[in-house]
Amino acid sequence: MAISEHTHLTSTTTPQDRGEWSYWSGWKPLGKWGGLLMLFCIYFPLAWLALMSISERPLSGIPLPFSLQHYRALFADTKWVEPFGASILIALLVGIVSATVATLVGRALPRTRNPGGLLLLFLLPLFVPGMSLGAALFIFARSVLELKLGFWSIFIGHFVWAFPFSLLIILVLTTRFDNRLIEAASDLGASSWRSFWDIEFPLLMPGIIGAGLFGFLLSFNEVLRTIFLRGTEKTMPVWNWIMAASQQSQVPIIFALATIVLLVTLPLLAGMFWLVFARLDKS
Amino acid sequence: MSAALKAEAGSPAGTTRWTGGLAAMSGRNWVVPGFLVIWTLIVIVPLVVLFSYSFFETKHFQTVYDPSFDTWISLFQSGRFEVTLRSLRIALTVTAIELLIGYPFALWLAKGGTTKTTKAVVLALLTIPFFLDLSSRTIIWRAILGQNGLVNSILTGTNLIDAPIEWMLYTEVSVHFGMIIAFFPTMVLPVYLAINVIDEALIEASEDLGATPFQTLKNVIFPLSLPGVLAGIVFTLGPALAAWVEPSMLGGGFVNLLSNSIESAYTALKYPVVAALSTFIILLLAVLLIIMLLIARRFGDLSSTFRVLKS
Repeated sequence: MAISEHTHLTSTTTPQDRGEWSYWSGWKPLGKWGGLLMLFCIYFPLAWLALMSISERPLSGIPLPFSLQHYRALFADTKWVEPFGASILIALLVGIVSATVATLVGRALPRTRNPGGLLLLFLLPLFVPGMSLGAALFIFARSVLELKLGFWSIFIGHFVWAFPFSLLIILVLTTRFDNRLIEAASDLGASSWRSFWDIEFPLLMPGIIGAGLFGFLLSFNEVLRTIFLRGTEKTMPVWNWIMAASQQSQVPIIFALATIVLLVTLPLLAGMFWLVFARLDKS
Repeated sequence: MSAALKAEAGSPAGTTRWTGGLAAMSGRNWVVPGFLVIWTLIVIVPLVVLFSYSFFETKHFQTVYDPSFDTWISLFQSGRFEVTLRSLRIALTVTAIELLIGYPFALWLAKGGTTKTTKAVVLALLTIPFFLDLSSRTIIWRAILGQNGLVNSILTGTNLIDAPIEWMLYTEVSVHFGMIIAFFPTMVLPVYLAINVIDEALIEASEDLGATPFQTLKNVIFPLSLPGVLAGIVFTLGPALAAWVEPSMLGGGFVNLLSNSIESAYTALKYPVVAALSTFIILLLAVLLIIMLLIARRFGDLSSTFRVLKS
């Protein structure tokens, strides 16, 4: 009975109704909420981290009672200051250098003979896992060139990681750039530096700032490559890492430190995205 | 050089030397070749060295520069092969789950009638995690999933369970979980970019011709978004194969992956083993990429997307 009813149904329906299940109105919300749940899982721990950093027992399930003791411990114990400073310094360098180099290369790249191939080459570090690239740079510098690792090798490792991102941001702007503006400027008698400084630079500015900030933040939070390239230096994520891996008692202090870093980083990022989206929208 | 000099001569006081040089340099077009040399030195050469180092050996804490396959053979012996298989299994599982959640989400974001603001906010939310310290983001899960953590406190507090759940932390489950959360953006972003450039008219045409939503997805949207899917898989699978923070922090020493082998070889100064393991990950990724490209060729025309990117 059930079978005959089924065949009857399918024989009289139009082709559109055959995949009736695919018209279910729940698919769209399912896709939406699945992803939003993941976003929640990304951001909830950050909020929890901040909350637990002011809790007396950060590794328990209940934040109460609150206490600022871990912040006091953080500021009493100054061992994190040096890695923190090193991180800031390297990140600043990486940000400035990758923004500058990405601007230079990003302006010239669209005019080369094989921009696609070159771009792939410059984006190569995106495809190579961080640990592998860190190991490669480490073996090359330490075993082949027999150099002493330290600041400079961390810088190179971070630069290699940050440059592709910076280049992509700059390219978004330079590939859209209207070259007639430069031609017009030179027709009107402007020297090449003048047309760069007065026309190109202001138009590329959001991209350059974005590239610099990307470089800074990517470097500031880098762990996988730094582990290999640090020599005797320590950056803050590495210090966090060592503390977290070795002593459970240090974890609350890391929570406090990570919260402070988050409070600085998140507004910076929000500002950057506002800048990029708002400026790109206008153009 | 004369152009640069002239440029500077024509500049008013206060202009720094490098801006004059900057404009002249790109005019001469040696920026790209020049940087290419540096890039080769800091990226290509190290990777080649890494590859060749994997054919050496370590004896008595000294690297023996005598090419052989011994280090490679050791990768497939003893416990290390087990680690390789486990890494591969976990990485593939994570990537598959990522695709399963990420693709519908990217589809909703790109074609689900979302407003411009929603798109901008979600894209920003997906990008921000790239800039946050992975170790502190991961370690907090210990406080959430642990025996006395948030989830167990809630469950026991509401009397839903009597004893705290123990498999939530320091197991393969927690390692999977941590990796899925960490690599979600790397899957969604490329897929979104690919779906976003699909011409709305094609989707409408498919609907007008009487295709069900599933048929439109299967025959129109999915083939056109394939390059994004491939990019998403590569960007997820690579870090997943080499994942280190998640297995160490959430595996509690019970889940050893390739990265842990690399790290212990590094600590033991066995550089050829480090090189072989790192090369192995890169090769594995390359092989998987080639297989996927071959499969993808049967589904759709990849070059069409490159044309879209160029335009």
